[in-house]
Amino acid sequence: MRPVYVLGVGAHAWGKWPEKSQLQLAIEALSAALADAGIGWRDLRGLVAASSRFEGGLGWGLHANEVLQAVAETGIAAVNVGGGCAAGQIAVHTAASMVASGECDVIAALGAERMPKGFIPRPPGQPDDISDTDYLRWVAMGATNPAYWALEARRRSHDHGTSAETYAKASVLMHRHAVANPLARYRKAITVEDVLASPVVSDPLHLLEVCAVSDGAAAVVLGSEQWARRSGAPLVRLAGSAVATGRFGDPAVRIPTVSVSAGGSAPHTSEVTGAVHGAQEAAGVGPADVDVLELADNSAWHVLAWPENLGFVEPGRSDWMLDRGEFGIDGELPINPSGGFLSFGEATTAQGVLQVCELAWQLREQAEGRQVPGAKVGQSAVLGLGANGASVVLKA
Amino acid sequence: MTDRVPVAENLFEFSGADVALIGSRCLTCGTHYFPKAVACRNPECDGETLETTLLGRRGRLYSWTVQAYQPPPLFRMQPWAPYAVGLVEIPEGLRVMAMLTSDALDELAIDMPMDLIVEPLYVDDAGAEVLTYKYRPGAAA
Repeated sequence: MRPVYVLGVGAHAWGKWPEKSQLQLAIEALSAALADAGIGWRDLRGLVAASSRFEGGLGWGLHANEVLQAVAETGIAAVNVGGGCAAGQIAVHTAASMVASGECDVIAALGAERMPKGFIPRPPGQPDDISDTDYLRWVAMGATNPAYWALEARRRSHDHGTSAETYAKASVLMHRHAVANPLARYRKAITVEDVLASPVVSDPLHLLEVCAVSDGAAAVVLGSEQWARRSGAPLVRLAGSAVATGRFGDPAVRIPTVSVSAGGSAPHTSEVTGAVHGAQEAAGVGPADVDVLELADNSAWHVLAWPENLGFVEPGRSDWMLDRGEFGIDGELPINPSGGFLSFGEATTAQGVLQVCELAWQLREQAEGRQVPGAKVGQSAVLGLGANGASVVLKA
Repeated sequence: MTDRVPVAENLFEFSGADVALIGSRCLTCGTHYFPKAVACRNPECDGETLETTLLGRRGRLYSWTVQAYQPPPLFRMQPWAPYAVGLVEIPEGLRVMAMLTSDALDELAIDMPMDLIVEPLYVDDAGAEVLTYKYRPGAAA
């Protein structure tokens, strides 16, 4: 296997873009990444797309094909990958594997999404019976996604004493980071009082403690060392990546299931834990080597629980870390300098690619106004429907 | 008397005051599943046979939330009002998500004993009461 480098990254700003199709968002993000890499469409030897869940893809999740047919009929390999909200990083992992194997010298990974308003609807074509647990959770108890996160949040408060103010502070931190990120949708600094005064969605979580849904797109161009040196940009290596699925006995209350093992031995959110450990192993790093972490903060609970579940922080210690500012840009473990899902609103399959873009900007020291000083190793972590996890490690 | 029908088939059984969830049990490793599973998911178990079993009559409250926003229309509840959703740990080795009885919101506490019941969510077009399973604070087990 040969080393893989990040040649370029680019994204379309997150927001609600009713005047632009998902295809248009995808093309703009990929064009930006190609420009960043200093190459053209005709230089690409492959395109891996995260299959969008809500729009485009010729109706069959063929997003890479759709982009190529619209913009550059070069005859290159198109690969489309599923994985729910983890699909963006599964696409990056797949693209990296195609460079590492020698199959492609230059390849792009892409995620683009236009989200429906409000609560995420069921996928089309599922049966209206309990063989679809998504149907079951709606008809039998009306359990929204924030309700799942709220169950974890209240339990954390019981186990570790996490207060309402601490959850609010986690959201305040994410929003503070986003102030300097032109790609984020919500860029206004907020206070603990603002968070606690926002409407309760699923007690104990307030509106400003759960992520909205947004439209957005991001792309990453990967390539061989020869291509990386040609660009003259600071070298950033994709040192490791991994994809994993959930393990038997995982205690996480996983959307959209309605029961979970009470006595199992698997780690919490084992699909993401497995991917994070796998990517670290591939990169030859441990948690202590990671200078900046981009994780899927669907709620304020995730900001506190994931660093612990993923092995970066001792269980129960995140509250203390947050209070001391250690999750901030100048802290011991900076989390989501991009602003995270809480400041972007989730554009499902695009979110994982955006995380990798942010890590590349951080490692090139181009994250103006939100730069983690001296960041040399960055790691991402995403979770997707169907117990999918993915993670990427970049090294400067 | 008004007809009483379950919100979904194969989810729970009710007869008088006896209410139970319909799940599966692996005959080889003993793992329980709710709702019924298509196969045992334990990778260490080669068992191929699951039996249908009734479970979850009582448990302890592991966590809960109050759902303050009205869920999308697939969920029907008349009249709608904020209600609790809980995660109840049952002796069969599972934590089960369920609505909690709405008159008990302010007395909920982690680890309290819970009993399984059925309650109407709404009346359907044919005039039948549509029931779902819920837990309510119960006597100590």
